[in-house]
Parts: sequence; C-alpha cells; structure tokens
Amino acid sequence: MVLRRPSRGMMVGLLALSVMLAAPLRADAETLLRTRLNADIRSTDPGTNRDANTDGVMAHIVEGLVAFRDDTSIGPMLADSWTVSNDGKTYSFHLRQGVKFHNGAGMTADDVIWSLKRWLDPATQWRCLSEFSATGIAQIQKIEAPDAKTVAITLDRPTALFLSTLARPDCGQTAIIHRDSVGPDGKWIAPVGTGPFKLGEWKRGQYVDLVRFDGYAARSEPRTGYTGTKIAQVDRIRFNVVPDGSAAKAGLLSGSLDAISNLAIPDVEDLKTRPDVQLSITPALGLTGILFQTRDPLLKDVRIRRAIALSLDTPQIIDAVMEGIARANNSALPIGSPFYSEVETHGYTQNIAEAKKLLAQSGYHGQPIKMIANKRYSYVFDSAVLVQAMAQAAGINIEIEVLDWAAQLDRYNRGDYQSMAFVYSPRLDPSLSFEMLMGPKATQPRKVWDDPEAQRLLQESMMIDDKAKRQLLFDELHRRFIDDVPMIVLFNGAEIAALRNNVKGFAGWLFGQPRFWGVSLQ
Amino acid sequence: MLGYLARRLAMTIPTLLLVAVAVFTLVRLIPGDPVQVMLGDNADPAQAAQLRAQLGLDQPVPLQFLYWLGKLATGDLGHSITNNLPVLPLILERFQVSATIVLVAVGLAACIAVVAGLIAAWKQNSALDLAIIGGATLLLSIPSFWLGLLLLLLFGLKLKWLPVIGYVPFSEDGWQAMLFMVLPIVTLTAVEIGVLTRMARAASIEVLRLEYVTHARAKGVPEWLVLGRHVLPNAFAPTWTLIGLVLGHLLGGIAVIETVFTLPGLGRLLVDSIFARDYPVVQGCLLFTAAIYVVVNLIVDLCYPLFDPRVAVA
Repeated sequence: MVLRRPSRGMMVGLLALSVMLAAPLRADAETLLRTRLNADIRSTDPGTNRDANTDGVMAHIVEGLVAFRDDTSIGPMLADSWTVSNDGKTYSFHLRQGVKFHNGAGMTADDVIWSLKRWLDPATQWRCLSEFSATGIAQIQKIEAPDAKTVAITLDRPTALFLSTLARPDCGQTAIIHRDSVGPDGKWIAPVGTGPFKLGEWKRGQYVDLVRFDGYAARSEPRTGYTGTKIAQVDRIRFNVVPDGSAAKAGLLSGSLDAISNLAIPDVEDLKTRPDVQLSITPALGLTGILFQTRDPLLKDVRIRRAIALSLDTPQIIDAVMEGIARANNSALPIGSPFYSEVETHGYTQNIAEAKKLLAQSGYHGQPIKMIANKRYSYVFDSAVLVQAMAQAAGINIEIEVLDWAAQLDRYNRGDYQSMAFVYSPRLDPSLSFEMLMGPKATQPRKVWDDPEAQRLLQESMMIDDKAKRQLLFDELHRRFIDDVPMIVLFNGAEIAALRNNVKGFAGWLFGQPRFWGVSLQ
Repeated sequence: MLGYLARRLAMTIPTLLLVAVAVFTLVRLIPGDPVQVMLGDNADPAQAAQLRAQLGLDQPVPLQFLYWLGKLATGDLGHSITNNLPVLPLILERFQVSATIVLVAVGLAACIAVVAGLIAAWKQNSALDLAIIGGATLLLSIPSFWLGLLLLLLFGLKLKWLPVIGYVPFSEDGWQAMLFMVLPIVTLTAVEIGVLTRMARAASIEVLRLEYVTHARAKGVPEWLVLGRHVLPNAFAPTWTLIGLVLGHLLGGIAVIETVFTLPGLGRLLVDSIFARDYPVVQGCLLFTAAIYVVVNLIVDLCYPLFDPRVAVA
C-alpha cells in the first residue's frame, strides 16, 4: 500500500476542519453562570438611576474606598486603611496599590478625587448627594491628595455615618471609576470600574452579561459582604430578566438557569425536595411591619395602637407567613445587626384581655380601621390578613385595602393612611434603621415616628463612633419605640436563593443581594 | 381606491387625537408618582422635587399635555422616565417581538380554524362537529397563562425539548429563535383557534343554507368543490373581520404570554411601565396600540373585495 503525501488543498481542508472542531471546544470551555433578575436594571450608572437590581449587578463591576462586611461593619476596599483626625472631620484614605481599572489603567489618587468630585456635582444626580448637603449627615468641604497614595476628605462636622454612607449600595458604593466611563461632554457611557467583572452586553429587557476581569487585583482577606477576596471563578455571568417567578423556577429546574434569588416563600418547600437543587436561606435586613398614622383621629390614641399590638401573636404570624424561615422581631433593629442585643428582644406578647381593657379605656367601639396592603410582596399581604384576623379576636375592626406598590408608596410618602402593611428596604447602619422611621411629620409626612426626644437620641447616635455608647442609645430608642407603638415591626424576612447543585461557593448575606464572585460551576 | 384610502387615513387623525387626550388624562389619574417609584422608600424630598422638575412633572398637567402633543406632532413620543431612552424606538424594538409571535400564531390559528369550522358546519350535529366545537370551546376556556405554564413544564422541564428562559431574535440565530418562539406561538395559536373556529363554523352554516349552494349541489358539483369554491370564500368574510379585530387586539401586546415566556415584547413593556408609572412609555404604548388597531382594521377593510367582490371600497 502506498501512502500518498497529502496535497496542499487537503492540508488546508484538514486544518480548517480541525479549527472548526476546536472552536466549539473552546466555546464550551467558557464557564457561564446564568441567574435571574425579576426586572431589568435601570441603567449602568451606579448610584444615580438605580434600583435594587441595578445595585446588585453594579456591585460586581464597581468598588468604593470602603465596603460593608457580612456583619454590616465597614471594611477597607480600594482604600487599604484610613485614619481620622482628632476633631473627627478629616478622613485620610491610604489607597491600595496595584489596583487596575477595566481599561488597564492603574488607579491613582487623581482618579479617586475625580470620581468623588463627579459624585458631588449636582449634574451627576447622585442619589446620595443630599447626604452631603447642609441637611445631610455632613458637608464635604475639601477633597485633596496629600501624596500619590492618599486621599483626604474634610467634613464640616464629625459624623459616625460618613463611612457607612460612602459604602451604601444604593449610593453605588461611591464607586471609584475611570474617566473613560463618561464622554467628553460628561455624559455617562459605561462603567469602567475596578470590580471582578466588567460590563459585557446589556440587552434591554432580556439580559445583562458581565465578563470576568482578568486584571483584577483582589484583597487578601476572606470574602465578606462587599469586600475581602472577590475573585471571579466563572468567565461570564448572565443576569436574565425573568419577571415571572414560576418561569424562573421552571428555568432553574430545567437547567436553563443556575441560580435564582428572591425566591417566593411557597416555592421553598417544593425546591427542598429536589435532589438537583440546593437552597441558601439567609436572614435579611429588610423590615416588614404595620405602620400607624399617629395623627389619625382614632389611632392618635396610643391605647388603641397598643391594643392592636397586644392582640397579635407575632411568632405565629411569622410561622404562617414565612413558613419557619424567619424569626419574629418587634425591634426596628434587624436581628442580624451587631447592635441587636438582649434589650431589642423585648417586644409585644399577645394578651387579649389587656388589649380589650385598653380598648374599653379608649372608648373604641368597633370603628373600622383601614389597612393598606399590596400583593407585590406576598408576605406583606399575608401578614395584613393575619393581623386583621387576630385583631378581630380582641374586637378590633380592620378593613384591608389592596393597592399596587406605586399607589401605596404614594400614600406612604404623603402619610395618607390610617394603617398600612409595609416593607422597608434594608438599612445597613443602626442609626439609619431608626432614621427611616423617625422625623417630624409636619415636614416629612412619610415618617411614622414623630418624637422630638427620640429624635435627639437618634442625632446623638449619628455623631458618636463609640460602639458601647451607641448601643445604649439604640436600647433606649427601642424601649421608647415599643412604648409609643408608632408601628409594629413583625419580622426582617429572609433572602432565599435556589441554586443547582453544580454551583459552588455561593453565600447569602444580610443585605440580600446575591454576590457571584467566589462562585464556581462544577 | 386611493381616495378611499386617503379618507380613511384622514379619519384616523381625530381618532388618534381623542385617544391621545384620553390616554394622557387616564394615565395621570392613576394614583402613584414615577419619581417616588424611582427613589423608593428612602426618597429625600429635596431630591424628589429636583427630579420632578427635571422630568417636567412639576408643570401644570395641561402644560405637560401641550408639550407632549407638540412633540407628538413631530413624531417624538418623548423619553422614558425610567431609563431616559426615546420611547418610539423602544416601542418599535419591542413590537417586533410581539408582532412576530402574533402574526405567526394568528396565521396558523386562522388556517386551522377556518378548515375546522368548515368541516364542523358541513358535518353539522355529527360526532365530528361535536368534537370540533367541544375542542374549540375547551381551548377558548383555558387561560393562556395556565396553558403556557403547562406547555413550559411539559416541553421545557419534563421532556427538555425546548428552552425555558430567554429570547433570541431571528436576526441573530434563526434556529435558536424558532426554538424560543415555539411555545409562545403554540399557546397563542391554541387560544385563538377556539375563537376563530366558532366564528368560521357559524359563518359556514349560514352559507351552506343558501340557495346557490343547493343549486350547485343539484347541478352535481362535487362536494369538495361546493365547499372550496362556493362556501369557503363567502363564509370567510365574517371570520376575516374577526381576524382583524383579534390581530389589532393582540398586536398591542400579549403581556401574559410575554411574561410567562420571558419575551421582551410590547405587552411586557406596557405592564412594566404602568407599574413604574413611566408616563411617556405608557402613553406611547397605548397610542401605538390604537394606531395599530386603526391600521389593521383599514387593511382588513381593503382586503374585503378579495373575498367578496360585491363589497366595493370606492
């Protein structure tokens, strides 16, 4: 048998064939993690046109000087460390060296100053600009670079909330971004950040793709919150926009999705029994409760508010609504907060006889009390129904009015309600957990608790850094809150994610937003 | 013909103007504020006021309407409050998705329903007629989201024949696009078959009773020819009217099906925009839907002479 030497054409053909065969192999080698967003992101400009989904996606792309840890304390991120001047007004951030932007440029003190000044420019429309205005936590007076590795920020007054405000996810973590993120006219183009993932393709209404940033300079500490080691273990993440929960669940079970967050409570039991799915259930910081309008002719009487509180078996409500995955909590501080102490565990205990006595004293004789609820968050509506049923046992007549979220938010902001079942988004600092509830109703109708003395205590908690002193202030605020009953906090809920078994390294955390750095597919 | 077309098109202007007034007013009557939805439960009043001013929402409503109408006259539907994108391209992009599904599904449904209706009428009161009309009633009674989910679970989850999540446009990958479109199209087709079969059957029964059909049969014309040449064209006209109405209605968006199958269509855009109180997008979607309705019905009217030469469009 004679073996003929292959012709040039044949060689070219073989080469082409091998390239064609190898191409799918290379494509298959890419690791793609597919997850779900229940609605599309609003923009790629962090901290400006944003919502919770936008914050969650952007947290993979951009980073700030500091970031929240798992326990909601503040840790270093792009700053390696910082010092505070004796008067508490000047923060000097010592920048981490070797950090690169997604365009390959190294991060410098100039970039930090440019980013911070951009945030403070009203034209940027930064969500947190008002925090640094005369009515906010403090005004920024000066930003300068004493040397190439340090950035100093001087405030007009000391505040305990400066670092936590910089780190707030809804403030876009006060991200340090490269100038290339905006055009020559200052208009936003796309984020050129320092995070473990770069922005890939955003197909509106369909998906957002993030691509691994190979030049990422990781911190050495273990992963915690939005800081620590944040190494991308997959080549690409696809956030698919899947509004319908049932479709998302079907996507997970069919293998079209690898992970879904914001899982509905009723799906938990079903998914627990699936052998190819694992669940991640983490206590969350959000707050669900019943708000009272303390200016209402009926509910201005604290005895009626207290009677409603005493008519409730809160643990039973939580067991029914959250199916055993959350704990009852009557405190404005979330259970996961480092400031949640023994004092905060004291709330209301069901006492129908006492409730009836208070109602009799107040002269209440079954007048209807309107309670607004929504079905966007099923657990809010379910809580309202159970509160209505339990209060009825004490002779309280609650009528539920269901509105859509936007309409309820409008009524909330105007203070136009008698009572409402409501859910607050997470606040990562204990002062802010109280601040979202407290304030003068005359100027801020959305606030539920208008108590000048409590307001003074809150202001004090915002000024001091000492943890023990702050704890005492929060304990006192809690006692007053329980006595005054401006609202009944029911629970903090839980963040539930479902993942296919081949997803490794996922960990939920108090803030609730999923983090996909350190997550791999096997 | 051209004169008729011009007259009909001219008539659409006052119609759309009335729709514009109604849409603008109704959207603003819905309680809720887009700025509050954007800023959430942590809205700073000063920031909210600034955003409201920037979006022009602090102006008196009649002034906002005149401003919107002025831009509308130049073909500009404004910008989305949520993401600042121009509304018209946003609508057109989403409309392509909805239109593809609707046109294919209604086309398929019409083909099946007309034949099924004709057969049912031909075999009136037989077991076959009962089966067809029973099947049509069943399909009509099934909610589309339930049928969609059922198909999704069967073909996506159980059999794993078809993808469950996502959408690929035909321009990117024809085969993949088809795979993603199969279930929504089947769902919509099934629902519309129910509606159209009943109409096709009723219209065919009417025609079968007419004298010229009896005459044709008496002449010894084969039954298939009687049905095909004499009954079908005459019975199709009322069904065609219904097809026009169905098309006009569905082209405005199939929000439920788009939500179940995660399709970025016009219906989902409208629903999302209502929840976000994104006024310009809601107004744009509703106005666009009204325009589509008018255009589809005009096309239906222009097509009538094709089926019934007695109808003139002059």
